[in-house]
Amino acid sequence: MTSLFINDQEVDVAPGTSILEACRENGAEVPYFCYHPELSVAANCRMCLVEVEGWAKPAASCCTPVSEGMKVKTQTESLAKDREMVMEYLLIHHPLDCPVCDQGGSCKLQDYAVEHGASKGRYAEHKRASVNYELGPFVNTCMTRCIHCTRCVRFADEVAGTGDIGILNRSDHMNIAGIVEEALESELSGNLPDICPVGALLDKPSHDVSRPWEMSHHKSTCTQCPNGCDISIESRGDEVMRIRPIEHSPEPWICDRGRYVYDAFRSDNRILKPTMRRDGGGLVEASWDEAFEQVITLLKDKRVGILFSPDWSIEGQMAIRLMRDALFPDAKVAYGLHRRDMRTFAFEEGFSMTTAQIEAADQVVVLGSDLRQRLPLLMQRLRKRGRAGKPVSRIGAMNYRTNMDINNDALVRPRDWPAVIARAMEQVREVGKTAAGFDSWMAAVSDRHEAGKVLADALMADSCALLVGEEIRAHEDAAALIHGLDLLMRACGHAESDNDGRNLIPEGMNRQVLSATHGDVRASAGDIFAAASAGDLDALIVIGSDPVGDGVFPSAAKAALAKVPLIQIGSISGEMAEYASVQLPAAAYSEVEGTFVNMEGRIRIASNPIKSLGQERPLWKVMMRMIQVMGAEVPVVNLDELRAAVVERLPELAGAWAGGATDTVLIKPRRNRDVSIAPAARSDSFELDVVSRYSMYREGMWARASKLLTEAGRIHALDDVLVHPETLAAKGLSVGEHKVRTFLGENTYHIGVREDVSPGVLFVGKRGVAGDLSDVSGASIEGGAA
Amino acid sequence: MSADAVRFSEERLAEIDALVKRYPGPQSALMPVLYMAQEDFGYISMEAQKMVAQVLGLRLMQVREVVTFYTMFREQPCGKYLLEVCTNAGCMLNGAYELADHMCNSLGIKMGETTRDGMFTIAEVECAGACGGAPVVQVNNIYHEKATPELMDALITQVRADGGAA
Amino acid sequence: MISSDPKQVKQICFDNIDVPGMHTLSVARKNGAYAFLPTVLKDFDSGKIIDEVKTSGLRGRGGAGFPTGLKWSFVPRNTGKPTYLLCNADEGEPGTFKDRDIMRFDPHLLIEGMIMAGFALDVQDAYIYIRGEFLHETNVMNAAIAEAYEANLLGDNILGSGYSMDLTVHRGAGAYICGEETALIESLEGKAGRPRFKPPFPAVEGFYGCPTVVNNVETLATVPAILEFGGQWHASIGVPNNAGCKVFSVSGHVNKPGNYEVPLGTSLKTLIEDYCGGLQHGTVPKVIIPGGSSTPWLTAEHYETPLTYDDLMKAGSFLGSGAIIVMDETADLVALTHRLAHFYAHESCGQCTPCREGTGWLERIMKRVEKGQGNAEDVTVLGEAATHMAGRTICALAEGAAAPVLSLLKYFPEDVQARLAEKS
Ligand SMILES: Cc1cc2nc3c(=O)[nH]c(=O)nc-3n(C[C@H](O)[C@H](O)[C@H](O)COP(=O)(O)O)c2cc1C
Ligand code: SF4
Ligand code: FES
Repeated sequence: MTSLFINDQEVDVAPGTSILEACRENGAEVPYFCYHPELSVAANCRMCLVEVEGWAKPAASCCTPVSEGMKVKTQTESLAKDREMVMEYLLIHHPLDCPVCDQGGSCKLQDYAVEHGASKGRYAEHKRASVNYELGPFVNTCMTRCIHCTRCVRFADEVAGTGDIGILNRSDHMNIAGIVEEALESELSGNLPDICPVGALLDKPSHDVSRPWEMSHHKSTCTQCPNGCDISIESRGDEVMRIRPIEHSPEPWICDRGRYVYDAFRSDNRILKPTMRRDGGGLVEASWDEAFEQVITLLKDKRVGILFSPDWSIEGQMAIRLMRDALFPDAKVAYGLHRRDMRTFAFEEGFSMTTAQIEAADQVVVLGSDLRQRLPLLMQRLRKRGRAGKPVSRIGAMNYRTNMDINNDALVRPRDWPAVIARAMEQVREVGKTAAGFDSWMAAVSDRHEAGKVLADALMADSCALLVGEEIRAHEDAAALIHGLDLLMRACGHAESDNDGRNLIPEGMNRQVLSATHGDVRASAGDIFAAASAGDLDALIVIGSDPVGDGVFPSAAKAALAKVPLIQIGSISGEMAEYASVQLPAAAYSEVEGTFVNMEGRIRIASNPIKSLGQERPLWKVMMRMIQVMGAEVPVVNLDELRAAVVERLPELAGAWAGGATDTVLIKPRRNRDVSIAPAARSDSFELDVVSRYSMYREGMWARASKLLTEAGRIHALDDVLVHPETLAAKGLSVGEHKVRTFLGENTYHIGVREDVSPGVLFVGKRGVAGDLSDVSGASIEGGAA
Repeated sequence: MSADAVRFSEERLAEIDALVKRYPGPQSALMPVLYMAQEDFGYISMEAQKMVAQVLGLRLMQVREVVTFYTMFREQPCGKYLLEVCTNAGCMLNGAYELADHMCNSLGIKMGETTRDGMFTIAEVECAGACGGAPVVQVNNIYHEKATPELMDALITQVRADGGAA
Repeated sequence: MISSDPKQVKQICFDNIDVPGMHTLSVARKNGAYAFLPTVLKDFDSGKIIDEVKTSGLRGRGGAGFPTGLKWSFVPRNTGKPTYLLCNADEGEPGTFKDRDIMRFDPHLLIEGMIMAGFALDVQDAYIYIRGEFLHETNVMNAAIAEAYEANLLGDNILGSGYSMDLTVHRGAGAYICGEETALIESLEGKAGRPRFKPPFPAVEGFYGCPTVVNNVETLATVPAILEFGGQWHASIGVPNNAGCKVFSVSGHVNKPGNYEVPLGTSLKTLIEDYCGGLQHGTVPKVIIPGGSSTPWLTAEHYETPLTYDDLMKAGSFLGSGAIIVMDETADLVALTHRLAHFYAHESCGQCTPCREGTGWLERIMKRVEKGQGNAEDVTVLGEAATHMAGRTICALAEGAAAPVLSLLKYFPEDVQARLAEKS
């Protein structure tokens, strides 16, 4: 530790800390503009000057490291004058338009002008003009207000990795500008207005809609991806106006999906009242009683399948289980739309590491995931580790753009995964690292794939984080692949409790909890649809999920829904409305008190005092009411009892609900040591493997109900169907419409090419939109238009 | 200039390949490559900037930042003869402003402008680093020291007589 | 000037400056270039070279006057990273034109100095960052470097010594700030030339994050003589703590402007009267800017000041780059200050608030004042705006920008008042 004196008070800080950070840690107020704890230091605003005893000139505290015994003063007359002058310089060209500026009320410049500025500026010359520039649907610019702190430039370079904002010209003609085609090429672009200390970059969707002081803030959890970021929901009255990150939470940023999904809260697509079909007509409004009458008719003593979304709070999900147990004790339940292989996984969905640990690991290998779309904040952390010189490797069906340099990269077809893993096993065994089961696993695989070297090399490090993605999780032979990876991790010492690098990227929130609460009754969504289509079920209950718009079973879902009636319960209507016989409204995540567990096992209890917009009720109450109207005994009558039911299955949660710490209570994903599944030979004869891409802008009911995200999805979309140029060339075909055969039949698609796609892969850029292709894992291009 | 005219020749590309090897990173070659573009195309258009970015594997913004920072990179065409008059201290004390006014008169244009025939552009520049020979005028980067109105007029006349050859 | 020296060296950097054809290798060799280099490569090692340079008392000739040997000794060794040597040939400080002469007339002297410095610092890649306007000098340097490669003075295994060094000339493109060493590094990395804050210092983390030494042309051109004749010899020239010769670039109202290499300690008056043929008008200068336009002004009362780092500092200014701008009584100081304010406003890299906004502000006020449109408050504002720029920014440009304005207000308030009076 280094000890120094700040305003005569002795303090200890870590060596190498800047004076500014030492002051912040010790409660000494130092004004600044350009400094930002998450960005590199620029030291250009010169507002953070302090005096150091014995130094001739004041020092910029943000870029001056502390030294032993240093005596720092933060409040002197001469500093006050310096700060007044910096304010005067800054305000030379700044417009006096605070009353009409969105930043007014939460503006550093305004605050400091009051605190440190002179009452009157003396600049009497003409003001400089500036041009605004286009940054896409989320960010507005008003560059006359820019104070050139370059936070946005550093953000674009360092955090987003896009580098599309820069500094043009010099002297007082220097200006900040963006070069974008239609929009910033970042899925984190909504953070720009937050980091701009003044009103130069503004949130476009909320521009001119509200003023900071009108807002109330509610701490909540974003359920839009398994990262489960802490968010502040800002509302005016009961209308959600914005969503923003929360300072001092594990991630200082949130992604555009989590931020801009808010416009779905008040979209036309919300289910705000019960509806039902009368006499086979369209859905019309009904009272709760009428709707439940209908529910009774459709479900009483029937065989049902239940499908729900991972977005619900743990309480809501537990209530679903209680409803099932009370009303349909034989029903199978699905809570995902990706998993084809229902055999037990050697390691279940969820992370054994925190994102901070992943950032710090010696090696990170991303297996089959478009991480930038799937977990943009984790991707951002990988960029951060990249800047610190730490390697990231990747194997997958596509060179997903990451906005960072990947150190080792290999393209593989999904059918190659066994050969990749077997190759890695061979390599690690050569240096004496092995595990029981290696031999039989390897023996089941006849060929070896070079990409295995990327994996094996990384496994040689002291710590290695595997990030296992959807290409493996949704694989038909997923259990065998995960078993293989588990063996590799064991062999290399990365499966110990203090060095567990096994992270299976989950489909949504709360996965570790769901294994405990629903694991025993779980089925694949595909099996449920197949059962319905085969006449083995009489009805489907779908709760907050949209198997037609999302996931890998849309065709199966459509077939099933054509056959049996649907009871839809949820907040968003979506594509399901077309099939629903009854809709029951359940409250959105902005409207309920609930508990969530993210992929790391961090627990978050959200309280959301925003009132319902219509007649929607918290999901657990809808479930209890349903139990009651169907004539069974209501198992719980309040949240406490409901939580007690969860604790019975998952004791780890008791502490959190009892008011204990939540950040430290981590629920680890399940491990299933006795799994032993060898890979199977592929049975179909399709020449191409189909891989579909998850898009953060269009996957999920909420995202599709958001106009903002839909527009962003349009801008960032890839072509529908892509293959490697060689794949087409080998067939003597060129880009255009081609017939594609799958087990569902033949269909025509426009097929584009991209070097980034692995040869032998048919890449579906827009899942769902591409209809039949979402359901299949193999296809052949027949050539010629249908 | 049409977009497809902005391409480096094969020889240039080979030159650039060799140049990049002289530095620890390819971005260091950016300034020399921009000089090449300026030499080959007369000025550095947006098309040229995009091409340079692509040749060096840089982002367009990285190129734009550099092009706009340095005064010797031109984003607009200029006259065939660029007359740059230093008016900084040493030259100012030795009549640079009077010389500049005289030259503007002789050319019939204002400071910073180009003659209608596209032959001359006159600009005021910062210290040329030759104050011992003040006043200094650079003609396409060739230094003319102890420049006088007569010498400059002679140069202008000569160029006009040659029709811009040489 | 150093003719008393037994080795018959008249000057250091300029010893052969007038020899016709000196820029060619053959002429240079006939005049002693590279003669001592094999000895250095064979008999000297890093420690010995750095010791000699330390003993010599050589201080950087680029502006800051930092002891060169000490700077070299700060370079960490065995970091696993390469060390780079960058020659600062940006020569942008108004009034300075000495490096240009070394490069166009005696390029091999610089090359030899760089080989020796490179050898001392175990440098594999060295660069000369030359201002873009010096096209002729670039061509001369490149031709000389090509000849040196041809003669195995550069490249692999120099003269069979086992030491290899590549040397590349890199042209700037019109930015004064790139003479500041960290801006130079940014520029050489292919970016806008915006200075970096320190620490870290370039010696530790410079070009591409590696240990880097930046030295001025004149500094490096002094090294061959120091190694050949010894640090002690160099230290004996000039006055204590201000050893050796310095090339002064004298311009403005003198009869014979030009570069003069004289031992440090020579007085301003001697230089101006004995070398430069005195003033164009009158006998005593009105203003002398002693170290480039960024240094505070001196006036008639300082005419006899010895040209040393220490004496000029005592007089309230700096030796800087040794660019002496002399003004006689005919100079319009308000106009000149306006011109310099314009220069700094044009050349500020724009990153620091006080410099970006302050330089433009000073320029605009000076413009009004020059036109007779100033007012009484302008004097206060000029003073405050300049004072609070200086020493509060990343690099020293802001301080340089403040210097002329503060000097004008300090020494010639009546010139300003006269302009203000014109208004009414
Ligand atoms: C604004 C500014 C401009 C500078 N310009 C030059 C220059 O043109 N040439 C130069 O050698 N040093 C210049 N310097 C000084 C360099 O930063 C650096 O101190 C010098 O190159 C070190 O070399 P030396 O130790 O050999 O003097 C400048 C410094 C500042 C702050
Ligand atoms: S003082 Fe001026 S020139 Fe120097 S870094 Fe700051 S803004 Fe740039
Ligand atoms: S916070 Fe230190 S200079 Fe801006």
